[in-house]
Parts: sequence; structure tokens; C-alpha cells
Amino acid sequence: MTSKNYLILCVAVAVVVSLSILFVPGVAKTIERELLTFLSTNARG
Amino acid sequence: MQIVKIALQVLGVLLLIPAVAMATLRFEKSSADGPSILFPGGELMAGDLYTGPEPNWSFTDDIFTIEMQLNDPLSSRLIWILHSEGKIYIASGYMSTTLGRLWKHWAVQADEGDGLAVVRIDGIRYPRQLVRIEQGPALDGLAAVMSSKYSSPTTRQSIEAGSTWVFELAAPGA
Repeated sequence: MTSKNYLILCVAVAVVVSLSILFVPGVAKTIERELLTFLSTNARG
Repeated sequence: MQIVKIALQVLGVLLLIPAVAMATLRFEKSSADGPSILFPGGELMAGDLYTGPEPNWSFTDDIFTIEMQLNDPLSSRLIWILHSEGKIYIASGYMSTTLGRLWKHWAVQADEGDGLAVVRIDGIRYPRQLVRIEQGPALDGLAAVMSSKYSSPTTRQSIEAGSTWVFELAAPGA
């Protein structure tokens, strides 16, 4: 993949991720819940 | 060589996704009515605004965290609540390190600014003023509360040394 195409891919991925979190109901809460579960499971006491 | 390039590109995308997700979540929460566990929030808007005499704060002994909003800049976070001798306090640790000051930048902003804040406890909003307590016998009681309530190793000496900053949530104008 050329550098130009790779940068386009990165921008597209970033836009899709951002819009999904901002506008798809439940995505933000699901990510935050999973992140919290991960941290509470793996954080050192 | 081509394989290495492809592997690095894939790695870049895999790192980009969580980085963008975290930045987006933080941005989204920055205008929310209150913080989440992971991200600071915006202005505390819901809940009645308390206007009576100073409450008996002993009910906060059973509350693990409260929502605290600084008025300048307008942002909120979850934070421990300490009750000692009829007054309530909040604390910020790791303040003796640069990383800690970046992480707990709200404490620097509260100390350098006017300290005006709003706390929301059990759905009631209380206007308060953050007043930093740097020394004095009150710190012994606060360290004891931090130890018993939160199993924190904080001592009066660590507070006086600036490792932990403690703020009294005083009545505005008191």
C-alpha cells in the first residue's frame, strides 16, 4: 500500500470510529464498560 | 522488507483505533452532565441546588465518591469525599510529580484560581469553595479518615510535604 493510500485509510478509520462512538447508540457505553471491566480486572491492587 | 512495512501499517491502524476511541469518548464526556468513572464530565446541571444552612456532613461517611465540578474551567470529576470534625474535604494525590500534576491538573487549577466549585452528592448540588489546607492539626484527622475509609497510606507529613493536596469544601464566601 502506498503512503498516500495508507494515510487515507487511517483518516477513514479515525472518522468511522469517531462517528460510531458519537452517533451509534450504545457504542460509547459499551466501550467504556468493557474498558472499565478490563481495568478493574487487570489493575494492580 | 515489504512484510515489515505491511506489519507496521497494520500495527499503526490497530493503535490508531483505541487512540481515536479514547479521544472521542473524552470529547463526548466533556459536555456531559457530570463525569463517568473513566472520563471527566461537564457542568453539573441536574439536581436541586442546596441553599440552606450548613448541613450535617456526617451522611458523607457512607459515600465513596462524589461529583465535583470546578467553575473555572467548567469540568467535573469523581472524587473521594472526606468528612472530619464537621467539615468536608477532597484530596489529590501524586502532586509531587510532573505526571501527577498533569493527571490531577484540576487541583492546580483550583489552587491557582478562585476555587469556586459545585459538588453533587446524592443528587443534590452544593455550591462550595475549595480552600487548600497545607498544614495544621486538622491534617491528622484527615489522614486517619483517608486510611480508614480508603485504605490510603497518606499521612499528615505527606500532605505537608506537598505529595497530597487537600482542599476543604468550604461554604462560598465563608
